[in-house]
Amino acid sequence: MNMTNSPELDYCLSEMGTRGIDALVLGREAHARAVSGADRLWLSGTRAFAPGCVVVRSPPSVHLLANSNEGFEDFPGDHLYPVTWNPAKLRDALRAIPGLAAAKTVGVDGMSPGVHALFAEVVPEAELTDAGPIFAELWRVPSPDKIDAVREAARVAHDGLAAMAAALRDGVRARVLRGVCAERFAALGVTTPAFEAVAAPIDGGASTWLPPERLLGAGENVALRAGALRHGWEASLARTYVVAEPSVEQPAPDGWEEIIELCRAGTRVGHLRDLEAVVYGVGRGVEPYDDELELEAGMVFALELHRGRRLHQDVVHLTVDGAVILTADD
Amino acid sequence: MTSPVCTLDLARMRRARIDKLRTAMTAAGIDTLVLCNQANVSYATGARVPASDHVRASWWRAVAVIERTDPSPHLFTEFPEGSPSDLPNDHLHPAIEVEAADGAAELLALLPGGQLAVDDAPFPLWSALRDRDVIDGNAALAPAKLTKTIDELECIRQAQAINERAIRSAQALAQPGAIATDLSGAFLRAIAELGATSNTVDPVFQVMPRSVADGPFSVTGEPVFPLPTRPRELARGDVMWIDTGINLNGYSSDFGATWIVGGEPDEHARLQFAEWRSTVDRVLEATKPGATGADLVRVAAERTGRRPWLSYFYLAHGIGTDSAEMPLIGTDRGNAFDASIVLQPGMVLVFEPVIWDDGRCGHRSEEIVAITEDGYLWLSNRAELNGIGT
Repeated sequence: MNMTNSPELDYCLSEMGTRGIDALVLGREAHARAVSGADRLWLSGTRAFAPGCVVVRSPPSVHLLANSNEGFEDFPGDHLYPVTWNPAKLRDALRAIPGLAAAKTVGVDGMSPGVHALFAEVVPEAELTDAGPIFAELWRVPSPDKIDAVREAARVAHDGLAAMAAALRDGVRARVLRGVCAERFAALGVTTPAFEAVAAPIDGGASTWLPPERLLGAGENVALRAGALRHGWEASLARTYVVAEPSVEQPAPDGWEEIIELCRAGTRVGHLRDLEAVVYGVGRGVEPYDDELELEAGMVFALELHRGRRLHQDVVHLTVDGAVILTADD
Repeated sequence: MTSPVCTLDLARMRRARIDKLRTAMTAAGIDTLVLCNQANVSYATGARVPASDHVRASWWRAVAVIERTDPSPHLFTEFPEGSPSDLPNDHLHPAIEVEAADGAAELLALLPGGQLAVDDAPFPLWSALRDRDVIDGNAALAPAKLTKTIDELECIRQAQAINERAIRSAQALAQPGAIATDLSGAFLRAIAELGATSNTVDPVFQVMPRSVADGPFSVTGEPVFPLPTRPRELARGDVMWIDTGINLNGYSSDFGATWIVGGEPDEHARLQFAEWRSTVDRVLEATKPGATGADLVRVAAERTGRRPWLSYFYLAHGIGTDSAEMPLIGTDRGNAFDASIVLQPGMVLVFEPVIWDDGRCGHRSEEIVAITEDGYLWLSNRAELNGIGT
């Protein structure tokens, strides 16, 4: 490569070597960002699997499906293959990537019958394998850059939630608060969410992700959720307020302090879940944690507790000196 | 302003969609259809999940299983509140984690025998299905989605109406000294207030260079569009291309326009728009059942002998539960493909040619129509230069 490899790309190439994977064909934007620094137009939700990014182990290279490297100019323009609607052109573009056609084992992060047919024309002999574990391992590698990026996303999320809380009044429509959050994020230069903000009445057991759409009334307990995706890194938080003029932030639910105390090296994620906490890693997206995983310094994760009429979520960075809450009020 | 296509009846829409899908499954020889792509799950079930970025969306995705002989789909979801009330209780199931090997195996164990089809799958599910002879779910989805029922058309029209109204908030800010991402913020706030189900694409408010050479690196040598909106200060005379998409009741919308910041369009901008307008008007005259995609491309190109759009785009694309779907007319797939597209009532077309005049920038707008028995009806406003449409 005639650009400096990112640590993430180096890790991928090394893992590919260890696992005997000759090439990766990636459709997940988070994966493409990690190996290339790509900053392409954001689309909401899941996408059909498409060969949007190719990593070849030897000779090492990264190629991207994009018409420009605008916004990530360190990525070489001659490693881009353009948008096309013609399967034959896409096939030819992939065949032209040095080392891909000869790959014996290709790691992918999705598949569809249509793309499988394309693969039959590009890498007909190759064994397909799951690229997911490489990235799952990569997300576990301690990285100061990751912490910094999540910390900045946490600031944006925190600000967005504060804007929602300031707008939470008797008679406000729940969905208006979603828009208030998005507008505040944009004022901070962030136009992409980790998820669309939520204002959920918490009494009555309604969902705190997909609440009924209605006017919110004085005295109600309302859970606010805000999550930002800043330069491809996410952070989120949740707080509960009682609707008033102004609305009053509620303390975290009973048991929260105990769970925070347990955020130290050696604690099993399963133990936190036994105490009803929701726990998952955060970074370029959500990173599922097994029950058996033990917390260790360098990890950054979402921690959430919903008990009774209170919902609380933070992002925690576990340092050698203990837990630092990145989404705390300053 | 557009007129309602019908009084929207979402339950009727869901029944009609599942009937079309089952008919298409029969024609394609599919007994069981597994859907993991969320737009397709929405199409088959009407299910809603919270809107999020792709990684989270993959982990909490809803999965649909449709059996040819069953008038109701099966829905596996973490969000039962997002399931339509007319889905029978015994067809609503807890989520299956198809991103993981365990979940993939669990789903596989539930599937009946017979011809299986899938649309898109996380690799663990794809692996688990390896021993089943799986065919492409698009064999049923594509013909079903190609034409829309009146309720679907009305959903698209309403989604577009919200999109167009929200754009007013952004336009009010499009002045010299404004920051482009603040326009995104105003738009995102407005769509929430107006009741959009979700936003589908990072709103595009892109300042275009006068010539390709002045702009960012371009693989094809043409202007590059769309790009993420950057927090860039707008200047008088900037030519801004807009592209926004919002979802309502599972249906996408697509707004496109060209604005001149802080001033009136100059003669070049007016001529470019006139060219755009004339191109689309001539194409619309030819837009009726029986016309082919090749017919429309020929009409579009006949005045100048060149195809008035970017090589990596098209004259028109379809829209529905996906932001871009069949028919795709005028792509680099070639003339034979365009000729194979025959317009039928119920198809939806988003026309978006591009008039580029290197050295003097260019014009791009979008208009949406639905094909009717004898022509077309409007699902979007008519485009105007430096405006929001009428």
